Amino acid sequence: MAVPIDVATGPGGPEPVPAPAVAGKAIEGRSLGQIAWIRLRQDKVAMAGGIVVIFLILVAIFGPYIVQNPLTYHENLIDPTFSRPYGTLGGISAAHPFGVEPITGRDLLARVVNGARVSLIIAFLSTALAVSIGVVMGVIAGFFGGWVDSVIARAMDIFLAFPLLVFAIALVGVIPSSAFGLSGNSLRIGLLVFVIGFFAWPYMGRIIRGQTLSLREREFVDAARSLGARGPYILFRELLPNLVGPILVYSTLLIPTNILFEAALSYLGVGIIPPTPSWGGMISDAVNNGIYSVDPMYMIIPGLAIFITVMAFNLFGDGLRDALDPKSSR
Amino acid sequence: MVTFIIRRLIGTIFLLIVVSMITFAIFFLIPRLAGQNTYQLAAQYVGRNPTRDAILQVERQLGLADPLYLQYGRFLRGIVFGAHYRTGPTDTYCPPPCFGYSFRSQLPVWPQMISSVPVTLSLAIGASVLWLIGGVSIGVLSALRRGTLFDRFSMAVALAGVSLPIFFTGLVALELFSYKWPIFPNVQYVPFTDNPLLWARNLVLPWLVLAFLYAALYARLTRAGMLETMSEDYIRTARAKGLPERRVIFKHGLRAALTPIVTIFGMDLGLLLGGAIITEVTFSLHGLGLFTVQAINNQDLPEILGVTMLAAFFIVIANLVVDIFYAVLDPRVRF
Amino acid sequence: MRRRRLYGLAAFGAAAALTLAACSSSGSSSSSSGGNTSGAGSAPAFNSGVTSVVNPSTHKGGTLTFDWRAAPDSFDPGNTYYAAVWNFARFYSTALMTFKNCPGSCGKTLVPALATAPGVASDNGLTWTYHIKSGVKYQDGTPVTSKDVKYAIERTFDRGVLPNGPNYFANLLGGNAKTYPGPYKDRAKNLMGLTAIDTPDATTVVFHLKAPFSDMDYLLTIPQSAPVPPDKDTGASYQTHIVSTGPYKFESYQLNKAAVLVPNTEWNASQFPTVSQLPSKLVVNMNMNPNDVDNRLLAGDAQVDFAGTGVQAAARAKILSNPTLKAQSDAPITGFGWFFYIDSQVAPFTNLACRQAIQYAANHLTLQNAYGGPVAGGAIGSTVMPPTVAGYQNFDLYEATTKTQGDPAKAKQLLQTCGQPNGFSTGIAYRSDRPTETQGAQALQQALSAVGIKTTLHGYPSATYFTNFAGVPKYMSSHNIGIAFGGWGADWPDGYGFLSQLVSGPSIVPAGNTNIGMLNDPVVNDLFTKAAGITDEAQRNAIWGQIDRQVMKDSVIVPIVYAKALIYRPPSLTNVYFNQAYQLNNYAVQGLTGG
Repeated sequence: MAVPIDVATGPGGPEPVPAPAVAGKAIEGRSLGQIAWIRLRQDKVAMAGGIVVIFLILVAIFGPYIVQNPLTYHENLIDPTFSRPYGTLGGISAAHPFGVEPITGRDLLARVVNGARVSLIIAFLSTALAVSIGVVMGVIAGFFGGWVDSVIARAMDIFLAFPLLVFAIALVGVIPSSAFGLSGNSLRIGLLVFVIGFFAWPYMGRIIRGQTLSLREREFVDAARSLGARGPYILFRELLPNLVGPILVYSTLLIPTNILFEAALSYLGVGIIPPTPSWGGMISDAVNNGIYSVDPMYMIIPGLAIFITVMAFNLFGDGLRDALDPKSSR
Repeated sequence: MVTFIIRRLIGTIFLLIVVSMITFAIFFLIPRLAGQNTYQLAAQYVGRNPTRDAILQVERQLGLADPLYLQYGRFLRGIVFGAHYRTGPTDTYCPPPCFGYSFRSQLPVWPQMISSVPVTLSLAIGASVLWLIGGVSIGVLSALRRGTLFDRFSMAVALAGVSLPIFFTGLVALELFSYKWPIFPNVQYVPFTDNPLLWARNLVLPWLVLAFLYAALYARLTRAGMLETMSEDYIRTARAKGLPERRVIFKHGLRAALTPIVTIFGMDLGLLLGGAIITEVTFSLHGLGLFTVQAINNQDLPEILGVTMLAAFFIVIANLVVDIFYAVLDPRVRF
Repeated sequence: MRRRRLYGLAAFGAAAALTLAACSSSGSSSSSSGGNTSGAGSAPAFNSGVTSVVNPSTHKGGTLTFDWRAAPDSFDPGNTYYAAVWNFARFYSTALMTFKNCPGSCGKTLVPALATAPGVASDNGLTWTYHIKSGVKYQDGTPVTSKDVKYAIERTFDRGVLPNGPNYFANLLGGNAKTYPGPYKDRAKNLMGLTAIDTPDATTVVFHLKAPFSDMDYLLTIPQSAPVPPDKDTGASYQTHIVSTGPYKFESYQLNKAAVLVPNTEWNASQFPTVSQLPSKLVVNMNMNPNDVDNRLLAGDAQVDFAGTGVQAAARAKILSNPTLKAQSDAPITGFGWFFYIDSQVAPFTNLACRQAIQYAANHLTLQNAYGGPVAGGAIGSTVMPPTVAGYQNFDLYEATTKTQGDPAKAKQLLQTCGQPNGFSTGIAYRSDRPTETQGAQALQQALSAVGIKTTLHGYPSATYFTNFAGVPKYMSSHNIGIAFGGWGADWPDGYGFLSQLVSGPSIVPAGNTNIGMLNDPVVNDLFTKAAGITDEAQRNAIWGQIDRQVMKDSVIVPIVYAKALIYRPPSLTNVYFNQAYQLNNYAVQGLTGG
């Protein structure tokens, strides 16, 4: 499985986003946010990615109300001898713009749109979980140093030592269909969010820890300290605002990783419970029923959906990172 | 230096023990949480329509009703000293490291894992050579020719590479190059010792698919690292000193840019050695990854435990090697 | 890995009287081509292998290659429950009884293998006596004695060492069978310690049963009765050192990878007409990619798909759209039945009308599609037993074959009758690692929602489906799961082999239950007891039919399809035909054409 994020863009560890001029300085200097926004706006490719991301989010939210019912069978559209849709390209027609599913005849466009909702929910929630835990742990480790840092660093090592995918598969496969007060798909989604997010926090934690460590040594912190500021003030007023940049960037870059991770889990059979559609699950169906040789569109369409989504997030995330980093010039 | 290595080794062993405890606890407790009792667990091992006495007998023999710490102790003892299992008229001795005996497949777990390792090893190492060379060189070239068509094109392909799910790429490759146009028919693992040419030929598709993803990642990383490094002051100094450009790039620029790459490479290789699950499942290669998936499908606890431990071992050892490598390379690194 | 053949086969020809008439072959040796029921010499066509021998030949030589997408639970004849392995095991082990080598229902006829004749029942059916052929030798020249047969059965009692095979002996034998721990523990006391089997001389085996059991001959076709020399038995590792009594012996066996068998020179062909020794080498390649298996078959690099469950979708498309290829394939009814249970202990299915409503609400067409359609999946079923099982009767109580998309109106009427006019909620259990059941569950869910029945799907791994979930009655009740998917292939193709573990009251157990309908109908139970005592096959078969009808009336099982498999037979394969007993092509007679 791929390394979850694009870590380390410089020698010796994650690149610290340099501290901006402290917001609120009286000169007509722009805030970091404004500078970043201007740079981002100029990056056409990143903006394109951003627009696609927004479009996908809108599709995920509103799409399911517009398209057909993804659960309705159309068995008359399926050739029973071969279990594949009549017609070319998987049965594309005016009524079914993406064609229909083999064996069942369910509308593929509807399933892809509903799958978007599932994939994005899981990706966003798990990223939120990973970021929350990671930021908290990373800041504590970096700020307090000493034995606190050692303990947290060891904990991160332990998490990183676990073969992620194995655990995810095994855990999801073992937990029964109703537990902890939830059942069915809500339980499964919760489980997936937990597994993906909980095992991804060290990646965020390491970066934030590195950032905190280098920020801690900066002059402005010394300046604040010499002015009499103490721990909590420095933490919340000086450090955290400067961490917003990397948090934002690496969150945006963590989302596509988590989308791929969820797709992989669905592909391996431990994803969303049918009949709720999911992109990875559709590809998994295509393989398990041997259908992908006979009706390639059934595999290609969800595959492309994953690809476009992930690519858009990556483009936008890249652009965001470049925009927040004054040293890089496009 | 030596003390450093020894300290890290001890830390590694400690880490592995912790991983084993957590894994054991999880796989022991979860079925209990799911409401499964040991009678049902034993029933899984005695085939269909067994008599009640048979189930109870097996439950006793396998020690399934023993408390957690006892079973864990047995497990640890097996790894260090080996264990005896009743397999017929005489007992079978399972030599250390004995990761248990799978009662479903009726084989000790360790030999089964070991026979899967060459497949995963071939896959991981072959792909890693390809992606390291390919990814890093493209990254360097892109950084040096920043802004040119080559740069834009290769970075676009790299971005596509990291955005494509690996199983999708694998399936498309399989369908096109193995079934539709039989350039690489029958992707079946052939041991290197049997037929090196066939071994390589059958692994080309999985190598390329796996390497494509990672090469893309490494190309992006290397490019960013190179750009970062090449804009440092000491590069300017080196140039000012009159050093040949090639020396500047490779000896000073690349060398510094490579350190994060090395870290990540260690982690990635460690993870892959534990089983490139998706690639192996897609291409039906019988390595550790496929073994893992089958063990989980069969709910075979000793096998799941064994393979999780082995995978963790690879990851931890890879990290250790990388750390040592770092300490050797970079004099600034102090522990 | 999917274990579709887990439920094994040991098909027995029950109605000898009926089938002898149908079978034109006079029991000629399997190596000759005498089994042709259709005109010999006609070019093979689609489904030729179902009713006739394709490519009859006595040509010797060549390497017969079996490709398999999985691996055996064990090649040890005493430790396996796979139909394909029971079929193949005749190459290296000889059970007391076996089936006749002929196509069609003739193939269900019982004939003796190691035994000289079918068993003789005495003592009101409580004692069965068999004589084994004299002069039979193992591959190393040592003679086979009756004690070896007793030992072979004894060793299967130790479930901790050999867990895989069926449990009939432990359940049916008398004497100390209930507490016998097997011959491995305390060898001195327990070797030959099973009092339920006597060996008065070197060629006689006597079985003492707990209760009369008329299907004893069927039971002894299972390879568990193949002799094993006690001094060469190594328990769990015997599978890598099997001592053969068949025409072939293992030359090499890499566990889960490949096995090579070569002719056994100590085997006497004239003593055993039921197996052939045509190829000069047998190769089994295991754990292959199913698509690769199909491609190799089509290319001629392999001759047999060991699993015998049919080709994948890609090859299916190729074969069915190409007339030449289609003529080289068969789609027999295999004898396996796919269905789903309705748990009569889970409300509201305690009410008969609610159960019957499901029969009408189900959309049999979408279910059939879920299992692969009419060619690769099978014909829509209306009875529990498939047509190839002895005792099958054709009836359709709920118009499944006439109103294939269901009858929602009738279903709603029945829901009214049972007091659930607005529908209700329940769960559907299925095995999540089986794509057919996953699709089937979704199809059923969709169909039931049309009449107001809301369902949640519960997928479980096959490995624990019966031991932890669907097969645990308390679990089903407490989780409100009223429907569970399943399938069955008889261990021997008569009604007992198919029905006894599915619908008889006494077979209900708290874990590992396969009577998931929880049927404890005294009518059914009495019929089973009655049949166990009847020795006349025709009479017995009539009873199986009655049981089937009553079970359908009780509506605890809803049949989906009578399974079919699209099997490809390469032109280089000889003596190919489908054997209803093993629900596979008959491996024991196959060979290769020359050149």
